[in-house]
Amino acid sequence: MSNMLEINNLHAGIGETQILNGLDLTVNSGEIHAIMGPNGSGKSTLAQVIAGHADYRVSAGTVSYKGEDLLEYEPEERARRGIFLGFQYPVEIPGVNNAYLLKAALNAKRRHNGLAEIDAFEFLQLARKKMSDLGMDPVFLNRGVNEGFSGGEKKRNEILQMAMLEPELAILDETDSGLDIDALKAVAAGVNALRDPARAIVLVTHYQRLLDYVEPDFVHVLSDGKIARSGDKSLALELEEKGYEWIREAAAG
Amino acid sequence: MNTVVLNQALFEAAVATLPADQLAPVRNRAAVLFSNEGFPSTRDEDWKYTNMSAATTASNDWLSEYRTSATIDVNAQQNQATLQEISAQIDATWLIVRNGVVDSLQLQSLELQHGLTISTLADSLNLPDIAIDTALSAFNAALLEDGIHIRVDADLRIERPLGILLIDDPSLRTSQTRIVIDVGKNASLRVIEVARSAVDGNQFTNAVTQIDLAAGAQVDHLRLQDRGKEHIGTHRLIAEVQAEATFSHNAFDFGGALTRNDVIARIVGSGASVNLHGLYLGSGKQHIDNHTRVEHRVGPAVSKEIYRGILTGQARGVFNGQAIVFEGADGTDANQANHNLLLSDKAEIDTKPELEIYADDVKCSHGATVGQLDEKSLFYLRTRGLDVAEANHLLTRAFAAEILSSLVVEEAHEYVQKLLDARLAELLGDDST
Amino acid sequence: MSTDPSNLDSLVNRRYEHGFVTDIETDSLPPGLDEDVIRAISARKNEPEFMLEWRLKAYRHWLTMQEPEWAHLHYPKIDYQEISYFAAPKSDKDKPQSLADVDPKLLETYDKLGIPLHERARLAGVAVDAVFDSVSVATTFKEKLNDAGVIFCPFSEAVMEHPELIKKYLGSVVPRRDNYFAALNSAVFSDGSFVYIPKGVRCPMELSTYFRINAANTGQFERTLIVADEGSHVSYLEGCTAPMRDENQLHAAVVELVALKDAEIKYSTVQNWYPGDEEGKGGIYNFVTKRGDCRGASSKISWTQVETGSAITWKYPSCILRGENSVGEFYSVAVTNNMQQADTGTKMIHIGRNTTSTIVSKGISAGRAQQSYRGLVRVLPQASGARNHAQCDSLLIGKECGAHTFPYMEIKNPTAKIEHEATTSKISADQLFYCRQRGISEEDAVNMIVNGFCKDVFKQLPMEFAVEAQALLNVSLEGAVG
Repeated sequence: MSNMLEINNLHAGIGETQILNGLDLTVNSGEIHAIMGPNGSGKSTLAQVIAGHADYRVSAGTVSYKGEDLLEYEPEERARRGIFLGFQYPVEIPGVNNAYLLKAALNAKRRHNGLAEIDAFEFLQLARKKMSDLGMDPVFLNRGVNEGFSGGEKKRNEILQMAMLEPELAILDETDSGLDIDALKAVAAGVNALRDPARAIVLVTHYQRLLDYVEPDFVHVLSDGKIARSGDKSLALELEEKGYEWIREAAAG
Repeated sequence: MNTVVLNQALFEAAVATLPADQLAPVRNRAAVLFSNEGFPSTRDEDWKYTNMSAATTASNDWLSEYRTSATIDVNAQQNQATLQEISAQIDATWLIVRNGVVDSLQLQSLELQHGLTISTLADSLNLPDIAIDTALSAFNAALLEDGIHIRVDADLRIERPLGILLIDDPSLRTSQTRIVIDVGKNASLRVIEVARSAVDGNQFTNAVTQIDLAAGAQVDHLRLQDRGKEHIGTHRLIAEVQAEATFSHNAFDFGGALTRNDVIARIVGSGASVNLHGLYLGSGKQHIDNHTRVEHRVGPAVSKEIYRGILTGQARGVFNGQAIVFEGADGTDANQANHNLLLSDKAEIDTKPELEIYADDVKCSHGATVGQLDEKSLFYLRTRGLDVAEANHLLTRAFAAEILSSLVVEEAHEYVQKLLDARLAELLGDDST
Repeated sequence: MSTDPSNLDSLVNRRYEHGFVTDIETDSLPPGLDEDVIRAISARKNEPEFMLEWRLKAYRHWLTMQEPEWAHLHYPKIDYQEISYFAAPKSDKDKPQSLADVDPKLLETYDKLGIPLHERARLAGVAVDAVFDSVSVATTFKEKLNDAGVIFCPFSEAVMEHPELIKKYLGSVVPRRDNYFAALNSAVFSDGSFVYIPKGVRCPMELSTYFRINAANTGQFERTLIVADEGSHVSYLEGCTAPMRDENQLHAAVVELVALKDAEIKYSTVQNWYPGDEEGKGGIYNFVTKRGDCRGASSKISWTQVETGSAITWKYPSCILRGENSVGEFYSVAVTNNMQQADTGTKMIHIGRNTTSTIVSKGISAGRAQQSYRGLVRVLPQASGARNHAQCDSLLIGKECGAHTFPYMEIKNPTAKIEHEATTSKISADQLFYCRQRGISEEDAVNMIVNGFCKDVFKQLPMEFAVEAQALLNVSLEGAVG
């Protein structure tokens, strides 16, 4: 088990608004972490900062990924080095074929790793296989990226991309929100299939529901831009019972 | 092509008879500008579909026996009756403006909320800028006997709408009306302009309304044009909208033989918002031309515009909507739509929604449609037992209802609805082809 | 947003690849225009009298006309006396009969442009009537076309060989007096292509012409006439590229299409003439009149264009929908970068009953470029059941460019259903970030998004053209985006 992601004293925000106030987090390969917290606690900000969104400014602290300073890298370099962000609101890109994006992304990563580009046939085989694992209709490959997809379809599409790109560090930002039970199970199956000693997964979620299907090794509760409490999966259940107010009070007290 | 031109000598003579009051320098400047340009012709892109020959003829007739309105006998009784009819239905503070000149007795009798000032332009202690930006606005300014100046002090909310009844005496072939409204910082005002004809006649009225909204101001402006069947009318509305101000304009055009409206909304402060809604109903040989221009000079700002037209008989509608986004006006969100229903073989619509965009951080869209009532909806209503005529009427009314529902001056809602229903009934019964 | 605008700018600024000049002696008339010049053009082409008369009438009318100024374009006044109105490549007095007879330097030029004529033509199954400096120099696949009864030849040859068809159709869609540039073209047109597809024939191959402007100060005045007789079908491709030059070069082509009953013409263009440099120096002035006449019932004319070149573009491929149930289509992608200006769009004139037209226009503006869509949909009183749908979208890249939409709709029939929609937007920061998070570089992401934006047009192009067009778009926008 090696150190994958190491965050120390991270302060970050958007514009003038400070959102993360000295966050510390260590994620090792092979682990699944769940980050929970009320709205506005900074969960999505953390995900966006790790992915490198330019709107978010880091004012203090460090983020290292596999021993390197992650904040040095452009978003696409982070992606090619194995970081995947499953978006809370995947964007629609009209006219751009889903398969095309997927193949371009896969090849960008392969080139980075010194591998030959995947040929069209092999790509299709792989994509079809992954789609069938996720219960996705292969016609989605030929539609515009997320264009006209339902909320559940968009989230499945994120999981498909993750499955194809095989990241080392996957961060899923509220991938479970707005899903019906079938879609939730499919997403969970996709995540579980990726569980691997060489890989780490961070689930950012508001509810405990997803954790019934994907068992986390650690649960962290974010409050006011810091980790207020960490524990094992029983913490999630406790939260479910007592609500977030309990953490806030505990933190204040 | 316009073959009629305005008689320059008569024009100059008329300008010379007007008094040497504080408007005189403006008149003289405007006279020079107008003399250089003359009446617009169909060769001008902006007037491609609308011919001003009849208006020019009316103006020549007027100028050939030019008299100021002070010398005209007024049928005051009739005007009062019209006012009473309207004021009974729309609760507002009412002014009468005849031939462009405010009825001063009526004005003096009003009890105005403190901070709301109404005067004639000639008497205004604070003569505002008189906009002269086109040939017609120059014609208006050059021959402006007088106008109205309405001011609202900063931070003042005028509760009761201000109603302005515009009515012309039939003995004058032409009139020039100018209303200037200044609304102070964070103040608000609701204005209702009702344009009527005293009797049916082919008079030409050339009107300009200027509205200045200081930062944070709010103005709701309704213009209801319900003139006689032979009337020729041009109206130019110029609104200058400062930061965080909101301007809403509702236009209803029901009457007139030839109507041309120009609406210019100039957004000069960030956070401003402009809403323009128009409905035009044409039958017989009516010609209704709406030109709108929303200038996004500064961003972010939002503008939304919807115009709808229903045309039957040999009526012709013209719509030209321009949205211009200036360089640097980032964060502009401009949306425009024009929908038309043609109900007869000889009705016609010429529509041209335009976008002119010089900034990149913008979201702009426009749409225009010409069509008929939705067949599926018609069928649906018939399966519910309505006959074809009833179903048609219902859906046509629904088509107009969206514009009516956007009318922000609540007090006028019922009255406009009543006129609209009557006018629609007329249109749907019109088979003059 | 994840993107630094200066980055975008650097991306747009890749230079024009096809900038080189072929050194071929040209047999040109000195600059200037009068009746003698027109007589000289006609004489050099050994034209019959009727053709000279036609040219002279056009010229005399042109003299009475004013250069149009209504377009949203700014360029210095053109001095029509500074232009040379005739230039022909010198390879003997007679035209080459086969590729072997063609000046090798000329073939080399085509190679540099990526148009290896013989190979490419054969491989793609395309007959190429290559116009080089106004005179056609090579025509292939003639036999195959002959067998089908298809006439595909240089315009000058058609004037000699098929005068009855020329007399019948020349100027029948774009009259001599139509507009300033069409009148000029009618007076001085150099050469072009003529196509006639006989009744019931489906043209056995795509027809294509590669245009090229070369000699200095040479205006190009092509004239293309395509007649599809009853029940016939043809797809015609036109593609262009030009060498780098400093002087502005005027191009005023006329294209006339006639579709008779049940006939279909598909006309596709990829236009990549030299757009001028970053400062707007040089570049082609492209003033083109393209019009199709759906003369017969159930005929169809479809225009597809990808316009990435030229300093100034003034072009409105149009359809006159005369025949009942006829169909007109216009699919356009226009890219303007640096100082380019384009005023382009279409006219759909509905005359016949139940006529249908579709307009899809995608404009991309970058750098300091200005682009306008200008369109007219006119439904005449007799055109019952007319349908039109127009979609005009603009994509802005950078702060200094402009995108404008001027659609005119003149509707005189109550049964018409007309829908026009337009949007203007920029590439969203969210879209770019999403792609980059998937490991795709910013430049690739922009190309991907722009190509997606244009997809509805590209899918109308013949396959090999679509690939070319896509590549061209990427090149044209390199450096534009960040």
